[in-house]
Amino acid sequence: MSPIPILRIGTTLLCSVHVELDDALAERLQEDVLGTIERTGATGLVVDISGLETVDSYVARILADTGRMARLMGADTVLAGMRPEVAATLVRMGFPLEGVRAALDLDHGLALLAHGRSGATEGRRPGRTAP
Amino acid sequence: MAGSETRDRLTADVYDIPRRRAFVELGDDDLARLAALRPLAEAHIDRLVDDFYELLLGQPDTRRFFPDAHVIERVKRSQRAYFLGLFDGKVDEAYVDDRLRVGAVHERIGLAPKWYLGAYRRQLRLLLDLLFSGVPDPVEARAAFASLQKLVFFDMTLAIDAYIVARDDALERHQTALRELSTPVIRVHHGVLLLPLVGTVDSLRAEQVMDTVLVRIVEEQARVLILDIAGVPVVDTRVAEHLLQTTQAVRLLGCEAILTGISAHVARTLVQLGVEIATMPTRARLAEGIELALAIVGKRIAPAGAGAGSAAEHAGPDGAGRA
Amino acid sequence: MRPVEVGHRGGERAPRSTRLLGRHELPIACEADIVLVRRKARSLAQAYGFDAFATAAITTAASELARNCWVHGGGGAAVVEELYDGTRHGLAMEFRDTGPGIGDVEWALAGGHSTTRSLGLGLSGSRRLVDEFALETARGEGTTVRIVKWKRF
Repeated sequence: MSPIPILRIGTTLLCSVHVELDDALAERLQEDVLGTIERTGATGLVVDISGLETVDSYVARILADTGRMARLMGADTVLAGMRPEVAATLVRMGFPLEGVRAALDLDHGLALLAHGRSGATEGRRPGRTAP
Repeated sequence: MAGSETRDRLTADVYDIPRRRAFVELGDDDLARLAALRPLAEAHIDRLVDDFYELLLGQPDTRRFFPDAHVIERVKRSQRAYFLGLFDGKVDEAYVDDRLRVGAVHERIGLAPKWYLGAYRRQLRLLLDLLFSGVPDPVEARAAFASLQKLVFFDMTLAIDAYIVARDDALERHQTALRELSTPVIRVHHGVLLLPLVGTVDSLRAEQVMDTVLVRIVEEQARVLILDIAGVPVVDTRVAEHLLQTTQAVRLLGCEAILTGISAHVARTLVQLGVEIATMPTRARLAEGIELALAIVGKRIAPAGAGAGSAAEHAGPDGAGRA
Repeated sequence: MRPVEVGHRGGERAPRSTRLLGRHELPIACEADIVLVRRKARSLAQAYGFDAFATAAITTAASELARNCWVHGGGGAAVVEELYDGTRHGLAMEFRDTGPGIGDVEWALAGGHSTTRSLGLGLSGSRRLVDEFALETARGEGTTVRIVKWKRF
């Protein structure tokens, strides 16, 4: 059983991180999320990170990569609820997670996914690649 | 907040009582010697206090701190307690707290250390008279005075620290106020915040602006932040880099950033510097930025009398930024 | 060892007579120790009243450097110091390993390449989060990184 539960609501996966992520746990999360997408054919993924007090470059990279991998598997990914101090720290480190879609909270994240599925957005910033 | 911080900072240094005592050579024998003289002090306390205030009230620089008889009565009472406290025979945290409070009060009412320390000299002289008239053996009187002097100097070091800390706290409060003034985040509409940046943007200020804005976005659950730079006199590579960082962080929270107030000069600078702001919606004027922001949250500005029915058609939560 | 850099940011003057109020040594002998080091950084920063942003900065820098110490230096120790310069509190953290050392320091500090768990990302990133950053390294002898973050008014 994964320490970070992944909920499925229709074709969307919800994943709320409320434990401190060490490297191994972050890698495990990625594995679990991708495995669940594979099994369920989910088309959307919201990762709620409002509980994360520290996100360093390694964990940030895993989160961003997970989004990209999920996208390759047909699931749009939204990172929801990042704390102000986490966002500031990542940007100051030179790690702005470009290409990652973000939402204020879970509700906003679900709204973004619903909106994206109606076809209005597709790759918000084309031509940009992550560092 | 200031109170607990004061206490925290003081705890680190000021409450190191043994170290302080060692430096002024204040030993337990000194305290015991003073405790033995308490009856003498009690017998003469009224005259001591009266003499002391005669000096303070006789000097214009100190008289203004004692506007009426009521105040004089009150300070005389606490001075009395202070004098007697010197003969208590113990120096503990409560003693230190009391001395610190005295220093902080003096800083607050604006009694400068020069008057405060000057008054201490007067106190010492009065106490010297008391000891030499009340202790028959001159050797014993001299020893008692030496002990007293150590304790009074111990008190003075505390009082000065209290002054400094109170001053620091005042400075900290001013800095906070200034910071808030320099980052006026305005709520334009539900979900729309405006930050009009005015003045020079250095690295320190840029950091504070970013922190303040990010906190406000989460507090207000803002979907759009308009960053208006019309009031920033110089936009160079560094300023542009700060602006870019701020918008990147804003975006990580799930909030759109719109840059407005871009003059021809600034536009030229940004392009010539090769600054990557192409990913950010920009508008020349604030008004256009506000229209765009409202569109993002599904609202629009319509002429008075026009129906509000078709507001939502303009755009959803995400796509309008590219328009 | 070759001292590479002592950086002062934001016009800060070199600290005045700085006093050491406390010192904690934590081993970095396994991956889980990375989390313990950053927890220590967080709890001390909070105890000294650092705001959320400064706390996140020192905690994240600690996490990056502890990981470098473990992944690239083969482990070592972190020493956390509580400082007081008469006006401000500061936290200093020193990460020591006896690993292979860093061959091209300038390159690593510029961010290095962007492979996962890259040494450079952690170094360049953490350097931007703190007020002082000093690095000493020698081939075959190991690496020591010292960072300081001061509490701001």
